[in-house]
Formats: sequence, structure tokens, C-alpha cells
Amino acid sequence: MAKENNEKKSITRYFTVKKKNGNPEISNTGIEGVENNRKGERSQVDGELLLNQIFPFEIRKYSMFKGEAELDIFKDKDTLMTLINSFSSAKYYEKYAAKAAFLRERAEKAVEDATKTSNKNLQEYKKLELAIEGLHREREKILTFIESAERQRDTLEGYIKETEKFAENAEALDTINKRIKKIEEQINTIEGHIDEKYTIPLFDEKWILMPFEKVHQEFTKKVADLNNIKRELQTEFDKQKGVKEGRRQATADLFNNTIPLPVGVPSKAHMEEMLKDQICKICNRPAKKGSEAYNFMEERLKEYLQSQNPKSKTKEEPVLYPNDYLTRLFAMGTQQEDGLAKLREIKENITDRFEFNKKRKQDLEECREKLEKELAERDKIVGLSNIGADRLTDVFKNYNGWYQDLKRLEMDLNEKGKKLQQIDNELKDKKGEKDQVDINSAQTFLINTKNILRDIETIISFNSLKKFDEFIELMQLKSNEIFQRINLDAFTGIIVFEKRVSGGKTTINLQLQEADGNILHRPNQSLLTSMHISILFAISELAAELKEEGFPMIFDAPTSSFGETKTGQFLNLIYETEAQKILLVKDFLETDPKTRELKIKPEFKTVQRDKAFWIRLKRPFDRKNLKTLDTEIIPL
Amino acid sequence: MNNLFDKWKTRIPRYNEEFRPVLFDALSKKFGGSEKTKVDLGKHFSNNYELYMFAFFLGLYNNERVPIPDKAKKVDFNHAIQYWGSKGNTIGRTDFTILQEYIFAALVARTDVDFIALEKGEITEDEVIKALLQTMEAYTNGGLICIKEKMEENSNYFLQPTAFLRMVLNFKSGTLPD
Repeated sequence: MAKENNEKKSITRYFTVKKKNGNPEISNTGIEGVENNRKGERSQVDGELLLNQIFPFEIRKYSMFKGEAELDIFKDKDTLMTLINSFSSAKYYEKYAAKAAFLRERAEKAVEDATKTSNKNLQEYKKLELAIEGLHREREKILTFIESAERQRDTLEGYIKETEKFAENAEALDTINKRIKKIEEQINTIEGHIDEKYTIPLFDEKWILMPFEKVHQEFTKKVADLNNIKRELQTEFDKQKGVKEGRRQATADLFNNTIPLPVGVPSKAHMEEMLKDQICKICNRPAKKGSEAYNFMEERLKEYLQSQNPKSKTKEEPVLYPNDYLTRLFAMGTQQEDGLAKLREIKENITDRFEFNKKRKQDLEECREKLEKELAERDKIVGLSNIGADRLTDVFKNYNGWYQDLKRLEMDLNEKGKKLQQIDNELKDKKGEKDQVDINSAQTFLINTKNILRDIETIISFNSLKKFDEFIELMQLKSNEIFQRINLDAFTGIIVFEKRVSGGKTTINLQLQEADGNILHRPNQSLLTSMHISILFAISELAAELKEEGFPMIFDAPTSSFGETKTGQFLNLIYETEAQKILLVKDFLETDPKTRELKIKPEFKTVQRDKAFWIRLKRPFDRKNLKTLDTEIIPL
Repeated sequence: MNNLFDKWKTRIPRYNEEFRPVLFDALSKKFGGSEKTKVDLGKHFSNNYELYMFAFFLGLYNNERVPIPDKAKKVDFNHAIQYWGSKGNTIGRTDFTILQEYIFAALVARTDVDFIALEKGEITEDEVIKALLQTMEAYTNGGLICIKEKMEENSNYFLQPTAFLRMVLNFKSGTLPD
């Protein structure tokens, strides 16, 4: 029965028992619900629905536990996630997230449709869509792989932990495992440094140009020769043309009939500088203003400046060269000349890369030798186990096999993780390109709407994640608080909720750690039970705080490994918590040595509680007649 | 000022179709995939044009100028020279478009074309570019033949990560650390 705002709701389980041929037969089972409103009017309602309303199914599932073993509901990682999702306020964002995704998809579709109407972009758009689709397919494949590999990893980790329990000296095993892990990490780092992809730098680092210098010389010589010929012919042409020619003739005379340098050499800036300083900085001689040398330079500069003026169309002069391809070729030669130093460094760079890799390989070899030694050492430790010699060999074989498999899996996962990252980056780029096509094609209104809806979706998913993390943090805090109180004055360690996100899926890994972060692989049963109870209580308390309504939790003999003192502390703690908890315990009982009757120990008086009942077999009874058995409920 | 390079790089050079299955499909991988996966699959080149450039330089440095036979079917990979090496989104790779200029310089050096006639307008730009492309195709063809011969000689040769490097840069054994 539940009371709320003067309304009373009651649930009754009903069934019919009939005696048929002397045997009882049960039929017509079900749940009946009755609601009494404020005015006292009664109405019959669907019993199942009412039960779910009062005591929701997702909570009921985690409210009734039979024995200690059942408390470890977190073995299945999905259970803990479901539980957290039920109570964390992140779940309120779920429906908005779905809606936001729906709206974003619609807006994207609208923009896409608008873009596709433009024929110009259709082909490009389709190409991008195909590429995006391909990347999505590849992404899905990787996610499936990651999911299955992670399941496999969890199983292997479980096997390994289980096997480690056999080792006598678990602490030594733990230490050596840490050393092995460190060496393996070193090996991974070194392997990451070794770069033996020698074909890629042929292009990326232009190593392929190492022998190019000879070809470069051929190229510059050819262009220089062509330039010479061109100018020679030009001079000849000018001479032939006679003399409008005063200037050109003069130039040719000055050079004593040799071929002048191309116009514009040296550059305008250099010429101006030399005139300003009155020095020819090519031959390092003075060229005083008014001197022959100065006038020559001034003339050259004028000639260049005139060449830059647009040619007058009215004066159709015959020209020898309507085209000028050689200037650009000449410039290219000069530019490549500047890059020669880099070409000459290539050989050294390649040798350096080889040397570097060779050294890293030596380091790797050393690390591998170290690893071999540590592995042999570990074999010895695992060998000192408390199981029979016949099983030992099997355990060994499996242990090392599992360990290798785990390592391989982790490497695969790492590789796939990187690949996933790469695909995500490529997807982002491709989507960016697609957006660019949209911007050029669709209406601004549609694009703005799409962008706003994308932002909304991002905000919602960010908040959902934040709420989830906050809830985990709070739960860890609360669980540890309760954990400390249950295990008053005893060693506890720290409960840690380790969040793992991989392949887009979040899982929570439950660990018991020491203050320095070391994992406690083999906590005793009592510690383990109290850890599980602490988490369940923490969830129940958080649910009560967040939902402002409490739900009962029912435990059947949850503390059989506790001992009476601890059970007493535990029960006192329960009394202090707010939500209702119903416990069935078999502690605090003793047999009276004189009467041989069971009685409650006086220590139970110190246990705080709201209500306690002693449920016992009613005495006397006939040992041979079942019908004489009955239950007696004694309020304590 | 006219620019032959800008015009040349808009073109797509061709190669003898017989090399498509034996070399291009076998050694280069198109459409993404991580660099590591490529090497694992024996795909040393990320793109067809990388293999094309490699073959060109190999032919150039070894003076293997073998024009594609007239009767051979010529194919291309629909990717103009100007886009070769513009890596953009490929993670872990850098741009190498500058190599286009070196290829072009080599073609100018090794192509027998009357550039003075071009300056004078006696021959057209297209004629010159055609000649440059023929040189390019001839050196590449020579390079591809060398690779194919190497492959036939020792099919495991290209499994070594240094195979292509040693081949094109002509490192003799012992000149580089192993």
C-alpha cells in the first residue's frame, strides 16, 4: 500500500486454490490494484500498471537480492550502465537528443535537396556523398570489431585475474606484472619511433631529388644558352632594323657588339640602390654621378622602366619575339639553384634516418631481452601456486596464452582506435567540403537553420555527457562514504568507477584500489560484499534525492560473511539511511544450553531499527506431519 | 610573360595499359587506408601518381627513355599533374606539389624542342607541351619497365621497406646501414 497526497493506492496479489482429487490446485493468479482518491472514492485499476508506477520495474530489478553472490550484479558491465542511466539526470536528455538529431537530419536533408537541384554541383555532391557513405561503412566495421574485441578483452582479463588467484605470492606477481607492463610500454614507444616507411619520404621529404642536381645543371645551362641565343638574335634583329634605334644601337655599341644582359637584370631595386650609392656593386667599382658607368646604369634602368609601360597600339612595330616563355623558365632555374643546398643535404638526412632506426632497433632488442627475463621470472612466481602440480601446467599454458592474446587485442584495439580517429577526421573534412558546396548552392535561410540545429544537438549531447560524469563522480563519493561507515575501523581501500569510452560506447569498470592507485585484485568476501552493498545503497540514496521518492530494498541474507560485530555496525548504518530497507538475517541467534531453545542474543538490543520481527517455526510441531508446520512472527 | 609550366600541369600524362594490373594495381592503393595497412598489403604508394612519378625519376636517372610503342593502348588515371602531391586531408602526409616543378625542369632539359621558334611564335604552345608530355611518358615507361623487370627477377624484392629507395637513389648495398 502506498500513500501520497491523501491518495491511497493498494496492490493485492490474488490466487484461487481448489482441492481437486485431494490435491490443491492453484489458478487464477494476478495482481489487483485499487486507488482511493482524496474524496475517499475507490476505483479498481490495472494492478500491474499500478505496481510499476509505485515501484518501477527498473528499480525493482535492483531492489531484491538473495544472498551475497547476487549482490555482485556489476559483473555484467551493462547492468551498472543501465542502473546509472536510470538514475542519472543524463537520461532526461535522451529524448531531446533523439529529437535534436531528427531535426538536424531533416534540416540537412532540406539543404541537400536544395543543393541537388543545382545541376552544376550535382556530380561533385554525389562524389562527396559516396565518399562519406564509404567512410561511414568503414567506421561501422571498425566499431563492430572494437565492440567484439572489447568483449574478448574483458573475458581475457577475467580469466587472467582468476588464474592469478592461484598464485601464492599475489603481491610479487602484481609487482612483476607492473614491470612487464612498463617494458612493454617502452617497446611500444620505441616501435612508434622506428619509421621504416622509406617510400613516403621519397615524395614528402623530396628524397627522390637526391640525384637531381645533374639534371638541374642541364636545365639551367639549356635555358641560359637559349637566353643567349635569343638575345643575340634580338641584337641582330635590332641592328638590322636600323635606327629608330638610337638607343638600342647605343646599347649595342657600349657592349662592343657583345650581347647585353636581359632587360631587368640586375633588378630594378638593385639598380636603384647602386645609383643611389654611386657604386657598381657587380664589379665593385665607383660610378660617380655623371660618369660613363653611372650613365650606363641609369640608361639600363630607364630601358627597364620603359619595357614595363603598355605598348602603344597605334605604333605597330615589327617584333622578333611575340612570346616570352624563357623569362619564366629562367626564374625557375634560379629558384631551383637556391634549393640546391637542400638537395645536397638529402643524402645525409637519409643516412641519419637509417642510423636512428638502427639505434632504436638495438634499444628494442635490449628491451625484448629484459622482457624475456621478466617473463621467466613471472613463470616462477605463478609456479608457486596453491593448486595441484597436475593442473599447474595447464594454468601456465593458459595464463601465458591469455596474456599474449590480451596484448595482441590491446594492440589491435589501439590500431583500430587510431584508424577510427582518422576516419572521423576524414569524415569531418568531407562533410566540410559538402557544407561548402551547400553554401554555394542552397539558400542562406536553410543553411542557418541547419547550423542552429547542429549547435543545439551538440549542446544537448555535451550536457548529457556532463550530467553523466557528474552522477558517476557523486556516486563514487557516496559509495565510498557508505563503504567507510560499514567497515568502521577496518581496511577498506577506495571504490573507483573507471569510465571507459571506446568505439562510441561507454562502460563503467568497477575497481577496488589502494590510495596509491594500485588495484586490489583479491579483496576478501566481506570487503567485496560491503563494496557491493555500498554501491547499491548509494544508488538508492541518490535515487531518493533525485526523484524525491524512495524505494525499498530487500536483502535476503546479504551479510553472511560479515560476522556479528560488522553486521551490527551495518544494521546501525541502515537505520541512519533514509530509504526503506528490509533485511532477512540469520545472525544474533543462539541456543539456550539448558532448554535447547533458540533465542535472540542480548547484543541485538544495541542494534537500531524501525521494526524487527523474528520469524520462526512455530513450536511444538510433529516432525512427521507437514501439516503441523506453521510460521510464527514475533515483533522484537 | 607566358607560362609553359602552368599550362603543362593541367595535362594528364598516360602510360602503357599493360602496367595497370601488374604494377599500378599491385603497388599503389587508392581511396584511403592507413599508411601502415598499405605497406602491410605491399602497397608502397598511396596513389597511382606516386608510382608514376617514381617511375619517371627512375627512368630519368637511369636514362631509360623508352617511348610507349605506337600499337600499345595508352591509359591515364584521370588526375591532372597540378593535383599530384596536394595531400590536403591525408593524415601524416605532407604536400609535395613542388616536385611538379622539378619534373617540368627535367622535361625542358631533355626535350628536343625549338624554344626559340616558340618565342617567335613559329610553333605553338600545344606542340611544345605535347613534346614535353611525350618525354615524360617515355621516361616513365622506361622506369615502369625497370620495376617490372625487378619484380620478375625477384618477386620478394619489393617486400623490403627500402626497396624503392635503393632502386631510385641507386644506393649500392653497404652504403646505407641495414
